[in-house]
Amino acid sequence: MKMYVNNGINDEIRFLAQSEIRLKILSELNKRPDNVRGLVKETKITYSSVSSNVSKLEENNYIRKFNGKYYIDPMARIYFKTLMDFKKSIEIIKDFHSFWYKHNLGQMSINSMRNINDLKNSKLIETTPLDIYKTHTTIKNQLFNSKDVKAIFPYLHPEYPKLLERILKNGGSIELILPREITSAIMRPIDETLKKNSIKKGKLKIRTVKEDLNLYLTICDKSMSLGLFKTDGSFDQNRILVSKDEKSCQWAEELFEYVKDKVI
Amino acid sequence: MTNPKTKKELNKEFKDIKYILTSSMRTKLLLAIYDVPMNLDELRGVLKKPSATILHGLKELEAINLVRKSQKYYELTSNGYLLTTNMIKLIDNWYSLSKSEIFWNNHDLSDIPEEIIRDIYLLKDAEYISSTTSDLSIAFNKYIKLISKAKELTILLPIYSENHFKHMIVFLNEGKLEKLDLIVSEEIYNSIQRNELFKRDLLENEKVNTIVTSKRFKIFLTYSERFMSLTLFFKDGHYDDSHILIAKDDDARKWALSLINSFQG
Repeated sequence: MKMYVNNGINDEIRFLAQSEIRLKILSELNKRPDNVRGLVKETKITYSSVSSNVSKLEENNYIRKFNGKYYIDPMARIYFKTLMDFKKSIEIIKDFHSFWYKHNLGQMSINSMRNINDLKNSKLIETTPLDIYKTHTTIKNQLFNSKDVKAIFPYLHPEYPKLLERILKNGGSIELILPREITSAIMRPIDETLKKNSIKKGKLKIRTVKEDLNLYLTICDKSMSLGLFKTDGSFDQNRILVSKDEKSCQWAEELFEYVKDKVI
Repeated sequence: MTNPKTKKELNKEFKDIKYILTSSMRTKLLLAIYDVPMNLDELRGVLKKPSATILHGLKELEAINLVRKSQKYYELTSNGYLLTTNMIKLIDNWYSLSKSEIFWNNHDLSDIPEEIIRDIYLLKDAEYISSTTSDLSIAFNKYIKLISKAKELTILLPIYSENHFKHMIVFLNEGKLEKLDLIVSEEIYNSIQRNELFKRDLLENEKVNTIVTSKRFKIFLTYSERFMSLTLFFKDGHYDDSHILIAKDDDARKWALSLINSFQG
């Protein structure tokens, strides 16, 4: 902790973050080299502002002039991108504010938090007074259309056993992480022979845990969904993050493996 | 003057990052309570600033839901924790880059995928070691010493170096090295195969698993259960055997593994 206090935001980060104009110029030059006139045209910032900030960036070795155009320095490009990554994280925290705020992140891995930018193509699904089952319906549809499912269910929904049974009947595979109290309630309704055969073929894996589970996660074929508990200890049934892109699914996969390692 | 509309858009685009990063009080506060909540006294002790300044900063952070007060202690909210985690990532990225800036700046990084370069914060505990004019083989000797202790190795190998091969064969024959995964380009593979000794003791060795990539690459990366190391090529295309980056922590090894996977995938 002390290390970070001494080793915090340095002057170079502050030099860039202080000026929207410098950030804008770098993001333009990150796309393509340009001269001052071109930058003025692209950014609609006045000539004098662009020109004075270009000089400052050049003095500090962020950009270099070559054949009449300014180029971003290769190292500066990497520094700049990490800064824009942080900007993106702030946007994801803000865009999904109601999803994160006053929710328990205790079971998320530090890596999943560092990599929240992977969720940038996710969508926040929230229930509305007109559709109070919107989150559940979304989850149900994901399960209904899937062949392979990995899931962490911290709670029981009466429709889950049927949905799981259907997947097994169709020859799909299921891996579940469940709290001890609900394992039998989820598994009992599923046809006994089907269950036995699926387990034998490695198509049904149940991992029962003693500890509390503080998140809901499903990875179905090519989609994922994530739900959190509120800080008051109750599961937030009113919002989930869902996504169909590869990045989010990989993110979810890593989180699933992390929870599996940790609780088993 | 830049017209008001442009100004407003610019402002909006970079407002949050500017607000967080340009106040050293706000960033220091977030970092101070990252691991453990603190009360005002404790914060005064850590930050060495007057109460009024600290309280002002805390109020600002409370207003944007990053910090909350519970009893007399200030703690990060879930949003604050997520944001600070990513701010630390930013700090570590800059720290890792600047710590070994000569190493990164002098070499050809074009074969390292951009996403993996952006995760350079994972290398914050890595040290880079250079050979000197009085001892040209410091980097090489250090490398041999490292691999001499390994049980399992995965190596992204972009060069044909008899010196390296001979050592690998010794460690395999001595029995200490139980498993060696070599990832090489077709060109390097063919060169190894043309040498009878290396063909027999490396390629045909049952402890050695060779993966051949269709493309050439310019990264010499080694991964084991205990360390990772990296050497690179100069921008003019020559291999640089005098600078090596070495780390033994899990984060750095994780970075190396993701780079290896990007070549196998």
